[in-house]
Amino acid sequence: MSSRVVVLGVGLHPFGRHPDKSIGEMARVAGLAALKDAGVEYKDVQAGFCAHVNQGVGAGLRTFGQLGMTGIPVTNIELACASSSRAAMLSADAIANGLYDVVMVIGVEKMERGLLSGVGGKEFGYNDAMGINLMPAIYAMWAQRHMHLHGTKHEHFAKVSEKAHRNGALNPNAQYQKAISLEDVLTSRMIADPITLYECSPTTDGASAVILASEAVARKHTNAPVFLDTWVGGTPEYHRGEAEQAEGPNAVLAQKAYEAGGLGPEDVDVCQIHDAFSPGEVFLAEELGFCPEGEGGPFIWEGNTEIGGRIPINTDGGLLSRGHPIGATGGAMITELALQLRGDAGQRQVPDAKTALLHNAGIGGVNVMVLKR
Amino acid sequence: MSTESSVEKPAQRVAIKGASLRLGEGEEALEGCRCPDCGDTFYPPRTVCLSCYHEGLDRVALSRCGALHTFTIARMALPGAFVKAPYVIAQVQLPEGVIIPTVLDDVDPESVQIGMELEIVIEKAMSDAEGNDVMAFKFRPLKGGAA
Ligand SMILES: [Zn+2]
Repeated sequence: MSSRVVVLGVGLHPFGRHPDKSIGEMARVAGLAALKDAGVEYKDVQAGFCAHVNQGVGAGLRTFGQLGMTGIPVTNIELACASSSRAAMLSADAIANGLYDVVMVIGVEKMERGLLSGVGGKEFGYNDAMGINLMPAIYAMWAQRHMHLHGTKHEHFAKVSEKAHRNGALNPNAQYQKAISLEDVLTSRMIADPITLYECSPTTDGASAVILASEAVARKHTNAPVFLDTWVGGTPEYHRGEAEQAEGPNAVLAQKAYEAGGLGPEDVDVCQIHDAFSPGEVFLAEELGFCPEGEGGPFIWEGNTEIGGRIPINTDGGLLSRGHPIGATGGAMITELALQLRGDAGQRQVPDAKTALLHNAGIGGVNVMVLKR
Repeated sequence: MSTESSVEKPAQRVAIKGASLRLGEGEEALEGCRCPDCGDTFYPPRTVCLSCYHEGLDRVALSRCGALHTFTIARMALPGAFVKAPYVIAQVQLPEGVIIPTVLDDVDPESVQIGMELEIVIEKAMSDAEGNDVMAFKFRPLKGGAA
């Protein structure tokens, strides 16, 4: 007998620049907030997953150890920018199959300044010599292709960032809490055409914590549970003759999630997607089925993804404005959607949101989730 | 001290790490893999075919010319890179169907267009500690090719 899984508690350490704080300190703030939100104590937590990318050996102990030492298994999870959503999926797998009733995910990252470079070993090689390992360039090349095939304009991508910052201004946990104009986005420093500086997610320090519980245990603590209803993960698929590489099969995973969750894109009230760079939201509006292929640019330009629009995306500011401490990002996405579904999102609230979709991508995999109340 | 070290050895040409190049006799080119069972072609080279899972693929020289699949103009160089900003990061599609991540040479970044015909340039990038010539590659507009 499998159990439904509830997002019982969520918490964040504010995202931003925190050079003087340890990951343990940030994890403690997020973790205590999540425990309080869930109404459980740390001794109730039966297993932990610490999601991070670059925090070294023993990060799980340095983070969970701040909350207590109860002897539970704590496992470190790395899936680049999608680490903490994958950790939540593994937690949900365990709860759904009756292994545990209460599992905690801590996502944490302290990042180095500068533009994140992509996959590569330590050895200096061709991609380093030629300057190819530039993360914005990967999105920029997808964007150029989209512009070529569909007539998408730079303004369409820039609109994503303008909207993200407007939402971020309403989020006390966001790295940037200041609205910027479309003009500001378009005229900020060009990084890799068509992507400007304000179309890149910043380097961020921060932590997120999510407590997942079986429905039976969750019902003891809440009368209005938010369910993690459906979760699917995947890696890029090879298809002969389709040489283009993607982070993962976004459209395929979304379709799987819709089928498993018994819903379609038209049923989604609020959504979190991976806007590491502004074109991401244009691509994903199409891949997640909110608009036809090739029409993501005008779809966003017309305001469909704003709070009050047809499908509000990244109501908390997204990676672009809330910030992107890579190991913590998936947990922050779950946090925002849980608040939205509870009606606790304050000025960012999407009225009567019942169904939410989450997409979190990292080098090496993509996760898609459906949350329901 | 071996007597051998005093013998003047001609510099060897070796491919830079992370690039697969066919160097030496004959025309130089990228070296990929072709599956002897199903014919699918890969770059960089690999051992297991992604289409039919055949193990042990044949090394083949890839086409020297291709078309620009997509690109961006990088406005800042990464630390340690040999290229100076602005430079064009590109994906070149070869007739074999593979896409090669590379940079463009000998081109005005502002004039680059998806679909333009390109040819490979293989040249020395640096010397290694043993005095070998470390070879790298770029692509440039095909002379007389359609823009
Ligand atoms: Zn084969």
